Formats: sequence, structure tokens, C-alpha cells
Amino acid sequence: MTVLNKPPRGSQYGSGIPPWLWKRSHFFSVFGLCGVLVLVSLMATTVGSIHVPFLTTIGIILDRLSPAPDRGWPSFLATIVIDIRLPRIIMAGLAGAALATAGATYQGLFRNPLADPYLIGVAQGASLGAVIGFLLPGDWLGLGNSLIPVLAFSGAVGGATVVYLLARVGKTVPVTTLILAGVAVGALLSSLVSYLVIRSTSEVHGIMFWLMGSFSLSKWADVGAALPYITAGIIIILLYARTLNVMQLDEEQSAQLGVNVERLKLVLLTAATLITAASVSFAGTIGFVGIIIPHAVRLIWGADYRFLLPLSVLTGAIFLILADVAARAALAPMEIPIGVITALCGAPFFLYLLRRRKRQIF
Amino acid sequence: MKKTCWFLLLVIGLSLISACAPPAATGPSGTEITDQLGRITFVSPNPQRIISLAPANTEILFALGLGERVVAVTDYCDYPPEAEGKESIGGYSTPDIEKIIALTPDLILADSIHEKRVIPQLEDKGLPVVALDPRDLNEVMDAIRLVGKIAGVEAAASRLTGDMQQRISTVTALTGPLTPEQRPKVFYAIWHNPLMTAGAGTLHDELISKAGGISIAEGLAGYVEISLEVVVAADPAVMITGAGHGDDAEQTLRFLKTEPRLVKTAAGRNNRVYAIDANIISRPGPRLADALEELARLIHPELFTKL
Repeated sequence: MTVLNKPPRGSQYGSGIPPWLWKRSHFFSVFGLCGVLVLVSLMATTVGSIHVPFLTTIGIILDRLSPAPDRGWPSFLATIVIDIRLPRIIMAGLAGAALATAGATYQGLFRNPLADPYLIGVAQGASLGAVIGFLLPGDWLGLGNSLIPVLAFSGAVGGATVVYLLARVGKTVPVTTLILAGVAVGALLSSLVSYLVIRSTSEVHGIMFWLMGSFSLSKWADVGAALPYITAGIIIILLYARTLNVMQLDEEQSAQLGVNVERLKLVLLTAATLITAASVSFAGTIGFVGIIIPHAVRLIWGADYRFLLPLSVLTGAIFLILADVAARAALAPMEIPIGVITALCGAPFFLYLLRRRKRQIF
Repeated sequence: MKKTCWFLLLVIGLSLISACAPPAATGPSGTEITDQLGRITFVSPNPQRIISLAPANTEILFALGLGERVVAVTDYCDYPPEAEGKESIGGYSTPDIEKIIALTPDLILADSIHEKRVIPQLEDKGLPVVALDPRDLNEVMDAIRLVGKIAGVEAAASRLTGDMQQRISTVTALTGPLTPEQRPKVFYAIWHNPLMTAGAGTLHDELISKAGGISIAEGLAGYVEISLEVVVAADPAVMITGAGHGDDAEQTLRFLKTEPRLVKTAAGRNNRVYAIDANIISRPGPRLADALEELARLIHPELFTKL
């Protein structure tokens, strides 16, 4: 495994910083971002259409940890902070972490800078599932309002599975075939979604809103359902960070270096699909996060997957929490679909990074 | 050289095709009418083949006793039941233009939703279109009078509007004197995902205030999204939504009754979450009087037990 002793790709462009210091600064970045994440989350609990002073917010959260009898705020404020804002912040953080990690994983696995979490039919499958959920009679199977996330999740996993199976050539799954199958299946599923949207009349607005993504109705039950998938998936992916570094050579060389390429693909695709599906089921198809965050991290901190992945987890979470704050604060009391925000802020920021560091990023 | 020849042939062919197009329709004759979109049109004095492009228009036509003269309605025109037996010209926002032309109507009653796309197409073909666009109860009665005037049934129109006016006054006589403290805060949910409500300037808002409630969305305008925390902070005493409409009749009602944060509001705690027939409250037609009475019963059961 001599290749791992080579300095990671990002560092060869470093401005003369010795490798040991370079690495240590990365550790500091990880801890620093953890702190930023906590701060941003706390700040986010104070922002919304209803003004809740910062100290009251802190008081409400502390009160939940050790309840005191006399509280100095009306009970609806506690409902707003604990039951509305906290779950949506956590959900946004989870979704951001999931999408950024999945994006980084796909880009590394496919060695393709344009890969995003929706490349292999996950988003289109989820959309089809969700739209069917919107159109099915209300209390189908007694699932009530949880019908849509369940169907979206099944659709996402189903879409990715179909793409994976279609892309199989003998015992291998060539990356190009996988991407092409993803594009084709995605187009097919999208056309079905468009057809169903046109057919339905009363649901069009709801469906469009879902497709743009939103955390406006996130609740604790959603967090509880998404958390296990997203944490487990991210941990699995983090464990393969070193292998992803090797994969940056190419598949043949990686295989010669002892990487079981096909097994790696299966494991990482499964993990990335699961976390994307969990995020999409509860947040809708939010664009840009999965492609922009990993690239931004790569531009700032370099392409070593051992740091790229955890830094993407944190940056993705912070970015989506901030985007959600903008979504609910910009036009309060109206909500803007978060997909609009991520595209509006994400694209120019990405272009800025691209122009500032005029060098090859991938 | 050869290419140039082909190109010339193509140009000549295309100009022949365009020469086949019918000459522009000459201005229609008849009575001059200014409709509710401010358009000036000419309609024949006593129309006998009327097409309605909106459920509310259909209700107005039938309530005026013009059902016999209606030749076609939309797929969504389900009231009165006789309307369902009429020929269909397709969806409400997407009517079938060819079918409308084939039915040779002498009056088409459109809606503001058709202003940009459908009305210009129909006018191009020289068809007489009158658009109704009532935004409040008074304009609904104006619309009824306008249709009465065009169809020559002024007497029926004044009976219908008189009856509506009287029923409205009966309700407002009781709710008018209520002080702000006696008016419960009402959250009207248009839709649950995204959560949408009816702000100022909507029929819902007018009806809620006439029925003796205060809409928590008074500060908003039109049909808009509202964030969950605004609803929770307003702590509505009554939550109402429309039901019996579209692909799933009671989705929003079920949402209001089960959403964990809304359950904690006064309306949720006191079990004051109601559904009203979405069609009677959202169609600007004669049945708005029914909607007002129903809302008054839901918001002030103590005042309106016998209504």
C-alpha cells in the first residue's frame, strides 16, 4: 500500500506547508466545524416568523433538560422552539450531511466531478414514490400522512436497485454503464412523474412543493425515522475513506493494490443510496448540496477522502441548516422551498470558489 | 444552385399554406357587455347555447333557471346534479378548444383563470366570451346580475341575489355586534403540504369575518403559505378546512387533527377542528350563502343553533 504514503492529491498544490502541519490543521478544521455546527444550530433556533429572544430560546432548551416549575414564557413558545424549530434544524442538518456525504462518495467512486446523489435514479425513484403517495386515497393501508415518506423511500431504493441491476455486465458493474443506466432510468421515471403531475389537479401545488424540498413540517417522528439510516450510512462510508483514496487511481490499479472493487461499489452505493433515500423521503429532492459541498470542501481543504468525507458531513449540515433558516426567514411568514435557496446561494458561491482557485479541482 | 432552388420552393410552399388560413374574424355583433375582467365584448341578445368554463359559472346558470340553455360544462361541474349530464368540454383550466368550437356556442362564460391562454384563443375564433371574476360576496351578486342581464332573466337574477342578501344579513345581524373579544381566532387551512391559508382579499377571509370569527391570516394577502410556527403562536380557537374535493377528500382535515404541534393549540385541545364542503366555500357562486351559514354555525354554535 505504498500509494497511501504519497501525499494526498490536495497537498501537492499546498503552498509549502509541511505535511504534518497540513494534517494537523485539518484536524483543527474538523473540530472547528463541529463548534460552528453547534453554534449555527443554536442560532437557527432563534430565527423564524415568530420572534423568540435568544436567552428565552436557551432557557426553553435548558428547561427541557431539567424542568423547572416557574417558566417565564408562554407555552406556545416552548412548542415553537422544541417541537417545530429543533426537529426541523436537526432534520436539515441530517439531510445536509447525508447529501454532501453521498455526493462525495459518488464522485469518488465514479471518479466523475459531475456525480451527485441523484445520479443513479434515487431522486427520480423517490419522486415517483412520493407522487404516488400524493395521489393514493388518503388512509391507504392506514398509513395516513406517513404514507408519502414510506413510498418515497421505497421508490428511491427501488430506483437505485433497478439501475444497479441494469448496469451489471457479467460480474462487474462498469461505472460508465452505471451512469448511463442512471440517466436512462431517471428520464423514464421523470416522465412518469410529469405524467402523474399533469393528471392530478388538486395536488399539483403540493407535489411541486415536495419536489423542491422543504423542512417546514419536519417533526420529531421524522428525525427518529431518518436518524438511524443516515448515521449508519455515514459511518460505513467514513470507514471506507482510505479505500476511496486508492480508488482515485483507477479501478484496475486499485484492484492490483488489493481493493475488491466490485464489493466496494456495492457497499458504498448501498450506503450512499440509503442515506440519500432517507433524506429525500423527509425533505424532498433538494438539489445542489450533494454536488457543491464536496467540491467546496475539496477546493478549501484538498481531496484526501479521510478529511474530505468528515468535512463534507459537517459543511453539508451547516449549509442546509443555514439554507433552511433563509427559507423560513426571508419571506416570513411564507416559506420558500429550500431547493430554491440552495440553488440561489450554492451556484454563485461555487462559481466564486472555482474562479478564486484557478486550478484543477478534480 | 440546387439548394437555392429547394429553398425557394419551400418558401413558396409555406406562403401557399399561410394563404389558406381563414381571414381574421370580423367583429361580432350584438349587445355590448363589459365583463368582470374589464373586457368589452358583444354577445347575442338571447343566448341559447351557453358553455360554462367554471364550476361556479355552472352553478350560477342553473340557479338562474338557465340549465336548459347550457350545452356544455367542465369535468368539475358537479352541482347541481343535472349539470353532470351535460356535455363535457374537458378540464377547468384546460378546456378543449376544438370541442368548444364544434358545439357552436353563442355565449361562453369564462373565469379569470382563462384570461391569458384560453380567452384569446376563443376570441380569435370569433366566439363571444364573457368572463366572471367575482372576488367577494358583492361581486358574486354582480356576476349573477350580469349573467341575468345577458340571458334576459333579470327577474330571476334579482330574486336570487335578494335571497342571498337576506340570508347574509340574517347572519351578520347576529355577528355584527360582536366585540373583538367575542370573536374566536380562526385558522382556515386551504392545504396542508405546504400549509396554506386564505389571507385578506379572499372569499374565505370575508366569510370568516362575516361569520363572527377573526382569521389568524388577516395580515397576509391572498392564498398563501403560512409557517407552522405562526399558526402555533396565534393559538387559533377554531380550525377549519375544506373537504370533499379532489383526489383525497379529507387529507387536510386529518392533518389538522393529527399534526402533533397543531393538536396542542386551543382548537386541537378543545376538539374544534371542522371540515366544510370545499366546493361551497371556494366557488364564487350562489352557494356562498350556504357556506356563510355553515361557518357561522361552526364558529358560533351558541348563536346559530337553529339556522
